[in-house]
Amino acid sequence: MQTEATLAQADVSELDLVRRCQAGDTEAFDELVTRYRTRVFSMIYNMVHSEQDAWDLAQDSFLKAWKSIKRFRGSSSFYTWIYRIVMNVTIDWLRKKHVRGAGAEFNDETQLREIDPASQTVPKTEALPYETMERGEIRTRIDQAIAQLSPEQRAVILMKEIEGMQYHEIAEALGCSIGTVMSRLFYARKKLQTLLKDVYESI
Amino acid sequence: MKAFEEKWTAWVDGQLSGRELFEFEASLPDKAAAEAERTGALKLGELLKRELSARTLTNEEFFGHQLRQSVARLRETPVGQARETRSIWWTIPRLLWTGGASLAVFLVFTVLVMHEKNPAKESQYVTQILNARVDPVVSPNATVSIFEVKQDRVTVLWTEGLQSLPADYAAK
Repeated sequence: MQTEATLAQADVSELDLVRRCQAGDTEAFDELVTRYRTRVFSMIYNMVHSEQDAWDLAQDSFLKAWKSIKRFRGSSSFYTWIYRIVMNVTIDWLRKKHVRGAGAEFNDETQLREIDPASQTVPKTEALPYETMERGEIRTRIDQAIAQLSPEQRAVILMKEIEGMQYHEIAEALGCSIGTVMSRLFYARKKLQTLLKDVYESI
Repeated sequence: MKAFEEKWTAWVDGQLSGRELFEFEASLPDKAAAEAERTGALKLGELLKRELSARTLTNEEFFGHQLRQSVARLRETPVGQARETRSIWWTIPRLLWTGGASLAVFLVFTVLVMHEKNPAKESQYVTQILNARVDPVVSPNATVSIFEVKQDRVTVLWTEGLQSLPADYAAK
């Protein structure tokens, strides 16, 4: 576990790398890419469910970051900044592919009316014992469930649950309010709980 | 005021405290069911973290290599692109300059012409300055003007600063 001092050192060196990038140092950029490429790729992969597309989108995101690195002012952390680029690239890509989540209920506007916030989650299929399920099967189930979410809901739940980001960091990365983040998280959880209850209950 | 969804999310994530927590829990119609929901949400989070965090980038080095090449290409292209862009964009400022200058000349010309025309239309006097006929030695600050209305055959001679009247004027 990193202490505050080491975190501060990491931040300083990261800021130093950013400054060097802004001066045109490609080696510094390479170092930043090495730090974040796996996380960025993983995040995109979990959103698009295709290794090749995730690879291309990750490349595209880093290239955009390089092009606009001079505009980074350091008001937020670099990783929030890079996530904003990643999310813009990925969500735009998903929208172009007309990915909107399954059914109209996952439109942020309509779902407020159509899903009872106080409703309890119900498993969609009969419970399967965890032991009998192959790991690949579980991941397929998770991918299928995430595919039912809108691009924005996918982004929110993945940043919260996988990256452990705070509401305000997610809001910054997505360019929306904290309230919107919490609301999207609410509906994303509800939907995933409905679709995956048998999986997590059998663990 | 926070919506129910926001409060619920904050509650699930343990972000509510004090009075807000008390009020929210008191507002739940079935606290036991809500607790079960919250436990489910937390289990879901654990499941996602465990299963999805494992996805790693294979061929990391190749990823870096490919990106380095793209960045290098990007660093090379701006020079060529800049020239191209400049050759395109140079014509636009030139066009703007030419257009602006033409407009300015036109406006100046129009204003001058109008300025010259208008007094003649507005004033019925024809004014002539007759400095040439005033001796600058005798009257250094003198001005002599004639105002005339040809239609009414009226002529006014207006002099200023004359020390003495020129002899030819007196003769007429």
